[in-house]
Amino acid sequence: MSMDLIQLFKAYAKTGIKTRFQYHLDSFLLSLAVFVREASSIFGVYFLLLKFDTLNDWNIKEIFFMFSILSATYSLFIMFFMVFRDFPDWIKHGDFDRILLRPRGIFVQMILNGADWVAALSHGCISILMFILSANSVGIRWNAGSIFYYLVTMISGTVIQGAIFVFFSAFNFYFSKNHGIKEFVFWKSRRFATFPVSIYGGVVQNILMFVIPFAFVNYFPAQYLLRKSDMAAYPEYYMYLSPVIAIVGFTLAYVFWRFSLRYYQS
Amino acid sequence: MNSRLIHVENISKRFKKPKSFKMEKESLRSIFLFQREYKNAVDGISFEIDEGEMVGLIGPNGAGKTVTLKILSGILRPDGGNVWIDGMNPYKDRKKYVAKIGVVFGHKSQITYDLTPLDTYGVLKCIYKIPANIYRDNLERFCDLLGVNEFINQPVYSLSMGQKVRAELVCALIHSPKILFLDEATIGIDVIGKEKVRKCLRELNKSDGMTMIFTSHDMKDIENTCDRLMIIDEGKMIYDGSKTSLYEEYSSQRMMEVEFEKPQQEIRLEHVVCTDSDNNPMSKYLYYNHSDVNYNEMILKLMRDYPVKDLAVREPEIEYIIREIYRKKKK
Repeated sequence: MSMDLIQLFKAYAKTGIKTRFQYHLDSFLLSLAVFVREASSIFGVYFLLLKFDTLNDWNIKEIFFMFSILSATYSLFIMFFMVFRDFPDWIKHGDFDRILLRPRGIFVQMILNGADWVAALSHGCISILMFILSANSVGIRWNAGSIFYYLVTMISGTVIQGAIFVFFSAFNFYFSKNHGIKEFVFWKSRRFATFPVSIYGGVVQNILMFVIPFAFVNYFPAQYLLRKSDMAAYPEYYMYLSPVIAIVGFTLAYVFWRFSLRYYQS
Repeated sequence: MNSRLIHVENISKRFKKPKSFKMEKESLRSIFLFQREYKNAVDGISFEIDEGEMVGLIGPNGAGKTVTLKILSGILRPDGGNVWIDGMNPYKDRKKYVAKIGVVFGHKSQITYDLTPLDTYGVLKCIYKIPANIYRDNLERFCDLLGVNEFINQPVYSLSMGQKVRAELVCALIHSPKILFLDEATIGIDVIGKEKVRKCLRELNKSDGMTMIFTSHDMKDIENTCDRLMIIDEGKMIYDGSKTSLYEEYSSQRMMEVEFEKPQQEIRLEHVVCTDSDNNPMSKYLYYNHSDVNYNEMILKLMRDYPVKDLAVREPEIEYIIREIYRKKKK
């Protein structure tokens, strides 16, 4: 069974990469564009911190470290959940019909089919860069425990973002267009997650913790490794909650998605 | 349980109707009010199909052909009714079911645009878990039948429309399906290509006993391949029977195409229904029942009262018969 899935993944990856290499200049420019866009937001943070030194006790290196978690998980997210991000187009072009016509699990096909290798690469590069710049100078002791925690963070951060998109893509079965919600919900909250959640007002904080739980993608995991003073405002166990939120969130999103499928109009 | 291969009972499917607004005011109001209008795309269709049958599904645009095929192939869930195919419910047993069917929707491409047909077939081999020897045999056989070999290693975007459609047909056949659904599959193919496709379909039906349902706007496709016809209009079945009995029923019907010296308003003749020609403003179509009219009188009267330039009497082509059925339904 698992051998079979690996075979399928290989077949999809091969064609996916081959497709991209048909247009290497385009792919190169695209990854450059994504890289520059992400880098410019990092520069924004950098200049801000030049002025303030710290934000709620977080210095520039620590914010970079937190950012590296965000872009690493985002990069993984693009590899696996890309289809859900672009779901309206998939429905419009009939690609989703094709998935329904093939004798494999719908989610398996969607996850294996849609990897955007190019954008994943640029986000991955950003995250590695940020990680190298910060990981050794923010006082983390890299031992077996913290490495394990870091890996779990990667997985749960990816799955939480996946859950958000799976959930919102389900609305496409009811309405043909919902770019608006997605724009608002995901892109803006991802921007918010660049900074420590503690700097925001109560409403935004609550949204980032309980509605679109970006705080559990990077803020609380970074807290576990960095232990900044603003953690005092939150219960200690929040630092261990990310995997739980990932599992519960994804399950709910999955159930809602499967339920909504019956309203698909093709 | 029914012994028939395909068993469809009273299925229906309704869609939200896209509304058109006459005034801006109305469209503004609609933002705040949830008004819903529904349209029945399929409205209580039932039929049964045996193994090895070739069925042509015809009807005007928007009649519900594509929706019917989408329900049969498990893409859409019917709002009402039952579908039972080869002992499975297409929607509920999707994974098991779709392994046994092949589908081509002419308007939506199944084949990867940037890659070669061979690349796509390779992925399909993996998706359907086709054993290597069967894959090799099928690939060779279908590519040969449909003439795909000459462009199997060219990227799909560089292919002509007709080549693309033939390459897609191979996609639908590569896993040796038991049932084939084709929706406008021959769209955009030239005459020679079409003949190749028809020949291939006939052979698959004869030698493999493959069951097929297909829709086409080209009546020649259906005339040359199907034995049974189902005609639907506005989501309802208006004819279901063999092609030959349809011909017999309408064999006394004739159509005369008459070209005049100058455009005519109306032609008054006994037992004759007159309509405008589709493509020539100088021409009219006269419909009549061959046993009702006296040719001598009719032609004489026509020649005497109107400036006739040319005329041709046609046998009842299937296209005309279908038009007749629509016309009778409308009345």
